[in-house]
Amino acid sequence: MKKQARGILIISSAIFAVFLVIPMVMIFKESFMGDYGFSTKFYKDIFLELELFTILKRSFAVSLGSAIITTMMAFSVAYTIHATKVSSRAKRIIKLLTMLPMFLPTITYGFAIIYAFGKNGLITKIFGGRQFFEVYGAPGIMLGYIVYTLPVAFVLINNTMSYIDKKYWVVSHVLGDKPFRSFYSTMLRPLASTLMASVVQSFSLCFTDYGIPMAVGGKYKVIATTLYNQMLGSLPDFNRGSAVAIIMLLPSVASILLLTYLERTNISYKVISDIELRKNKIRDTFWGGLSVLICLFVVGIFLTVIVVPSVQGWPYDLRLTTKHFESVFSDNELVRTYKNSLLVAGSTALIGVIFVYATGLVSVRSNLKKNSKRLMGNIALVTNTIPGMVLGIAYMLTFKKTPLQNTFILIIISTIIHYYATPLLMMKSSLEKLDPTWETTAKLMGDSWFRTVFRVVTPNVVSTLAEIFAYYFVNAMVTVSAVIFIVGAHTMLLTTKIKELEHYQQFDDIFVLSILILVTNLIVKGVTTLIIKKRKR
Amino acid sequence: MLQLRNLSKSYGEKEILHNISIDINQGEIISILGPSGCGKTTLLNMILGITDCDEGKIIFNGQDITNVPMEKRGFNIVFQDYSLFPHLNAEENILYGLKNKPNLSTKEEVSELIDLLDLRDHLKKHISELSGGQKQRVALMRTLVMKPKVLLLDEPLSALDGVIKESIKDRIKTIAKKFNLTTIIVTHDPEEALTLSNRVLIIENGTISQYGVPSEIINEPSNEFIKTFILNQLEIKRNNILKLFGTAAKTGGFTNQPNQMAYSEI
Repeated sequence: MKKQARGILIISSAIFAVFLVIPMVMIFKESFMGDYGFSTKFYKDIFLELELFTILKRSFAVSLGSAIITTMMAFSVAYTIHATKVSSRAKRIIKLLTMLPMFLPTITYGFAIIYAFGKNGLITKIFGGRQFFEVYGAPGIMLGYIVYTLPVAFVLINNTMSYIDKKYWVVSHVLGDKPFRSFYSTMLRPLASTLMASVVQSFSLCFTDYGIPMAVGGKYKVIATTLYNQMLGSLPDFNRGSAVAIIMLLPSVASILLLTYLERTNISYKVISDIELRKNKIRDTFWGGLSVLICLFVVGIFLTVIVVPSVQGWPYDLRLTTKHFESVFSDNELVRTYKNSLLVAGSTALIGVIFVYATGLVSVRSNLKKNSKRLMGNIALVTNTIPGMVLGIAYMLTFKKTPLQNTFILIIISTIIHYYATPLLMMKSSLEKLDPTWETTAKLMGDSWFRTVFRVVTPNVVSTLAEIFAYYFVNAMVTVSAVIFIVGAHTMLLTTKIKELEHYQQFDDIFVLSILILVTNLIVKGVTTLIIKKRKR
Repeated sequence: MLQLRNLSKSYGEKEILHNISIDINQGEIISILGPSGCGKTTLLNMILGITDCDEGKIIFNGQDITNVPMEKRGFNIVFQDYSLFPHLNAEENILYGLKNKPNLSTKEEVSELIDLLDLRDHLKKHISELSGGQKQRVALMRTLVMKPKVLLLDEPLSALDGVIKESIKDRIKTIAKKFNLTTIIVTHDPEEALTLSNRVLIIENGTISQYGVPSEIINEPSNEFIKTFILNQLEIKRNNILKLFGTAAKTGGFTNQPNQMAYSEI
């Protein structure tokens, strides 16, 4: 068993060396080494000539602002679900709608926001044609960021809230707390570090996202769009681009360190008990109402994505038609792109599951030394700090002119590594829950280690494997940040195609492709959820 | 015969076991008794072969098995939490090892064991549907079909209560007798150790405090530790129970022997 575990550890370390360490070294090198050797010139350039300070300040402001708003919204929804007597069916719908945005690429939200809140936007029209604000620039970007990060923030807060011991609500009440004090000490205080974590996590996602500012930013430049222009714009400069990438990396690293710290300060209750909530109409109406508003916001955006390509020509000819769908399906190029995306997402999910399972087994259920067992977890922490764009650029620099350039293999590997942290965490916590004596017991009954893994461990973690499959699949379908620097003419994906279609203003096609992504993701997620439910019974 | 010769074990600076030497006869039930942290689980793991010995030898039927890997010693264990596989039903758990080594037990032997452990009605049940005592019996059976040369039991009774405890005790005795099976039990409960086994090994701070038959330990405790921690506890229990029966005798009842209760109902 030691031999097999060590083998897995060596192979996966080698993979990370080639596809994580070397690319990151390359991007560092590129940011310092110009034609005349080592210099800090490129860093000076980006701050003096590209006004990076102004751009950074802006990026910070819009990302942090959106992160705070998202967190408040996510809290409202979670609170409605856990602490009100809103009907359980309504709760289920609210939860579902809040999670929905994770199934579309961010780039779609950018365009959807233009079509929802713009001059001729769907929501603008519903409210009598009065535009609330100019969509291009900060407001549009922030709306996009909020939709994008809402599911992530919600999952975080909802999770911690379910681990709060609800008996304390009764205790606080019988001790005579006034409503606000009670709310503070039994809800806000235990949640404090999770709320902080939600802000930090959302901030980090917004700060490094490319899709939304690209679509709806207009002339309002943030760091992600600046970085893209340096690498793939009209006047590319890889040295300066790499310097910008390193600058983008810094807040991301800081965020992850902060998150790791916050995780430790989380209050944990030893016992979790549920209680029957007291009747309170005002409370239910207030929080329920807030949640409905939040859901309407999400619905509005998804409605836009669906309505715009379903009419003859938005906004002037509103007769229903299927012609935009038909034209996409009869376009060989687009159909091929869809097949590419399916291939990449399916392979990423399958290979990703195997990779995460193998490294998870070594980390939890092997008899290697403590440091060896921690290795994969530490690597996962590192992968978590690297924004997709930075990873993509690093790959572009490292693998140009190699046989791997622009290949599906490279796209799949980059996606597996970019999203490695969460699946590994899921895998490890699931493996840790299994009885530690199984391996010994099975060995005494004549099993080899692989046989035990196959006969005993695997059947007991099928649900987690299915969850990881779905996680990888969905993210591979929607990601754009890393792959945009890796795809080639023959390995075009739906998300990168959407970026290209924007150039030709083909928004009907963009939305049809987005719907295709949404439906595919929902099917995969639905099937895996069914499998998990069936296993639980 | 299983012989432990001068076994020692340290983890870093801390010595867990020091110079343990005992002989265990074929078919004997031995309890290793001691407070938590005394090294009794380490000793069990060394006999099983999970933990390497720093010093000393383990000799089984004249053969030095100190460096023989766990799976080749032919010993087997039932862990405290039974270690049953939850995705399989009781029968599949029982037959798990026979899938690897089908010739170890015949169909008739398996069938006989099923009756002996009273599991016939529970074979198709899921692990989660079994009670604690039933789980213990399934785990015991799963180990027995592998025909172990020595059976190790880690705290076999600690998760069970009351009458079920007594029933499992009886079964362990029956099995050891029927198969002439050397059985080594780890426990922290003096009552369990002294009523279940032929000989008891009491360990304190990694060394042998006393090794002898139960009556010896009760009548000739070799040191203060045994008097204060082992006998004192039993004394309190005895007095409590006698007091209870003293009052109970007045109200009548309590004539049944506890051993005659219908264990299969449990």
